[in-house]
Amino acid sequence: MSVEETIKEIAAKVLHKSDINFSDNVTFKDLGADSLDVVQMLVAIEDKYDIELVDEEMQKITNTREFVEYIERKIAEKG
Amino acid sequence: MKPLEGKVALVTGGSRGIGHAISLKLADEGADIIINYFRKRSSAESTIQEIQAKGVKAHAIKANVGEPENVDSMFQEIKDKFGKLDILINNAASGVAREALDLDIRGWDWTMNINARAFLQCAQKSAELMPNGGKMVSISSLGSRLVMPIYTVVGVSKAALEALTRYLAIELAPKGICVNGIAAGAVETEALKFYTADPNLPQLAWKKTPAGRMVLPEDIANLVAFLCEDASEMIRGQIIVIDGGLSLALMGQK
Repeated sequence: MSVEETIKEIAAKVLHKSDINFSDNVTFKDLGADSLDVVQMLVAIEDKYDIELVDEEMQKITNTREFVEYIERKIAEKG
Repeated sequence: MKPLEGKVALVTGGSRGIGHAISLKLADEGADIIINYFRKRSSAESTIQEIQAKGVKAHAIKANVGEPENVDSMFQEIKDKFGKLDILINNAASGVAREALDLDIRGWDWTMNINARAFLQCAQKSAELMPNGGKMVSISSLGSRLVMPIYTVVGVSKAALEALTRYLAIELAPKGICVNGIAAGAVETEALKFYTADPNLPQLAWKKTPAGRMVLPEDIANLVAFLCEDASEMIRGQIIVIDGGLSLALMGQK
């Protein structure tokens, strides 16, 4: 399963939705996620990939596409 | 001999900010330290190294203290590894920064569970590991009694935490356990920016603080250490304000 698919699966579980769509014009707010949903997703992603997401770096992310790319970058950095 | 030598202390939220300063201070005093953290493993790891450099044992446990199962397994790990606990510092905190009319039930529960209910559960579990007495300190804030923008549910959770501190102080006194709390003003940490509506708050707080500077994590840590020593054993169930006089200076006098 790709990173994007895994994140979608995590988002679907947290948000109780089945049709999750990520793109450069979709934000988590558009998906109906509030700040607690986002925290739950971050924790699940960190646990899944054994990575640490940095709040300051994530503040620059504006859409779900960038979010997926950010996670992919963190996984790659881990090696 | 250092005052806390041979003691084992758990500091929830002990890897960053105020918890980090408390962990290091109690290690300075000779205690072995267990730090609980939620997300920042790298901070936990570096704190562990700093503690070990002081010549005491250090151990980190990942747990969301708002999840009862997480707390159960954290205490099982403490029991297995250390066999006892002498000091509980209830410091971990989280919260949803919204005004009352914008708060939803989930945000309320999340905040109350982490900030207030976790102390109940940690105190219950800790008391089992303190057959010969111990110390508990809860970290509260001025938001429990003063109103600050978007701090609503965090302030309410801190009020519950303070009331619980008083009840525990009396109910655990026969077990030789001292329980007190500390209510800090605005402390210069990373968390500050998440709970304040005004980005200039640190500067404002500093300007208005009669003591002439902001409260630092180390100020809290020094008071925690005192409350963990036998010298303070007749202080029970008190919430000690540490704010450089800020909350007394209503008209902003210095």
